[in-house]
Amino acid sequence: MRLFEDQSKALLRQEGLPVPRGEAARSADEANQHAKMLAGPDGRVAIKALIAAGRRGKAGAVTVCTAAQSADSAARILSLTLDQKPVEQVYVEEAVEIADEYYLAFAFGDLGPRVVASLFGGVYSEAFARDSPQALISIDIDPVEGLRSWHAAALWEQAGAPSGQIPGLGALTVRLYAAFRDHDAQMLEVNPLVKTAHGDWVIVGAMMEIDDNALFRHPAWQSQAEDTAGPGGRPLTPGERRVAEANQRFAGGATRYIELDGEIGLLVSGGGASLYQHDLILHYGGRPANHTDFSPTPTPDKQVATLDAILDRPQVKGLLVGCNFLQLARCDIMMQALEIVLNRRSVDTRTFPIVVRLFGPYEAEARAIAARFPGINYLPPGASLAQACLAIVQAVRERDDSSHAPQENNA
Amino acid sequence: MSILINRDTRVLVQGATGSQARFDIKYCLDYGTRIVAGVTPGRGGEQVEGVPIFNTVEAAVRSTGANASAIYVPARAVAEAIDEALDSGIGMMLSLAENVPRHDAARAVARVRRAGAHLVGFNTNGLISPGQCKMGGIGGDRTDAIYAPGRIGVCSRSGGMSAEISYTLKQAGLGVSTAVSMGGDPIVGLRLVEILRMFEDDPETDASVIYAEPGGTHEAEVAEAVSIGILRKPVVAIVVGEFQDHYPRGASFGHVAAMIQSDADSASAKRKLLEHSGIDVATLLDEIPDLLNKAFRKR
Repeated sequence: MRLFEDQSKALLRQEGLPVPRGEAARSADEANQHAKMLAGPDGRVAIKALIAAGRRGKAGAVTVCTAAQSADSAARILSLTLDQKPVEQVYVEEAVEIADEYYLAFAFGDLGPRVVASLFGGVYSEAFARDSPQALISIDIDPVEGLRSWHAAALWEQAGAPSGQIPGLGALTVRLYAAFRDHDAQMLEVNPLVKTAHGDWVIVGAMMEIDDNALFRHPAWQSQAEDTAGPGGRPLTPGERRVAEANQRFAGGATRYIELDGEIGLLVSGGGASLYQHDLILHYGGRPANHTDFSPTPTPDKQVATLDAILDRPQVKGLLVGCNFLQLARCDIMMQALEIVLNRRSVDTRTFPIVVRLFGPYEAEARAIAARFPGINYLPPGASLAQACLAIVQAVRERDDSSHAPQENNA
Repeated sequence: MSILINRDTRVLVQGATGSQARFDIKYCLDYGTRIVAGVTPGRGGEQVEGVPIFNTVEAAVRSTGANASAIYVPARAVAEAIDEALDSGIGMMLSLAENVPRHDAARAVARVRRAGAHLVGFNTNGLISPGQCKMGGIGGDRTDAIYAPGRIGVCSRSGGMSAEISYTLKQAGLGVSTAVSMGGDPIVGLRLVEILRMFEDDPETDASVIYAEPGGTHEAEVAEAVSIGILRKPVVAIVVGEFQDHYPRGASFGHVAAMIQSDADSASAKRKLLEHSGIDVATLLDEIPDLLNKAFRKR
């Protein structure tokens, strides 16, 4: 889960790291109250949109102003919409006199943790990283040994920091890695990391993402951990939320469910086979109404919730239940879920196309359930995933053709 | 021959008394895997499918000479279980749980590497050397219907696609030396290129089939190894997930690891990279046997 700036900074402050004083505010008035308390020696504060999105500076969602101007600035930022989300809070913090601004980030590669440093803080961006790779120094961290002082010193030396700054930068880098590790962060970005006019190091920008899979060690975050779980950080749709709730409530592996714009409902399984079938639906000219990847479960509950989410959407014109050779999962549990949902919703399987490609343990029982619904196309043993995808695309197209025909007659 | 496991492998199961482990142990024993011990602290003295359960890995290894471990403990306990196995000198580990915390995964993999051991996973359904041994749920109750013994190495982040590829090979009259589901979590023990190097060194593997999906740098390492001649045996790839090019980055559709972070991670970029190195890339599973035959004719 991605933490908001005030949360990231509170966490770093609690670790004794140098973070400016700051407070979150929900209104211009509240922002002004905080600004009067927080204004630095020069009377200025920074006001930032409190939202889990990058590039706030470019969007005009960060400003430095006097405490007297703070109400107007906060009101303007609170009227913005960033990444399709209205700004509901601002973060007010003491302004810092900047002498140097650097960039420092911790993240994971597929080998393990890495640290990235650059003297080009503030302006750092994905485009900058691509165009000026020499300005970024990145090293792998040995997770057993950790990031040691001499590693951090070498990192900043390579990045081009002046010798006099290396001890201070190095010590801060080591402590930030400890915070990254101890809080199970999968990303910690400090941008900018500022050297003030007085010679102090201050963490002015901080963004942190906690590993969802480690939230059991951090129960304080757990309750807040679902809202940004849609693709690209969008909020969950009602159907996605329903599946997320089923994941919490029922036993067995988690189901991934993402709603899309097409007309073919997918209840497919397997991290790989779900991608393959999605490709194939497009390949044959269909459009998925959703992506799924479900895991074996001891009861039908999760699949029932997912099927309800899929069939709730009027755009869905057909359903593919497509599984690889599942090995672990009982086919009959999957088909029990389908039976429950089809009966409860009174789906007419003679006009609503359903293709099933499901082989494995308890397959005979699964086929017996399917046989109770005329029109379900349960593919014969050995049929390929490609055949299943082609069958549902064709069935939906044929149904469309036949359902359009009478309308034309009426017209 | 085969890689990683064979008919002499003596398997112990950590977390043997859980329901998934019991299910898999039965089918592994039916297949002929020599499962010699199980470990669940507090359950020492019991049996699962006739396999003796011990309280510690150390006691299990001492009594049974186990040299490989299938680890069925939950994700949060995986790092500790791997340390325990390493401490008893286990050289080959399979870790099945998905969504292992990243810092735990990174530390565990680093420890395994320091010990010179091998770890397959995290988030894998297992590996199989057909006719000899299988570890994990791979193949389920109809292993022989999917995995035929033969001379093609299979490696896939996806367990299901390992089965689909192997089944496609079997339909075409080809068989598998070893199939490895290397794991769908972002951090895994053995990397794809390391597994292919094992196939390269295995005299009874003639070629390999790999499954590639968005996310991560495994395929880039393979393309590099083929380009510079470290891998000389034919490699055929199936690349999936090209649809993801049409959706926003940062969305994960399949394995958590299949998240596109940069342009180089996308399925279409991987296809280009692999093709450029000389690897034949399939779009449909059914194309794989033809591509293998084509590669054999070229040699």
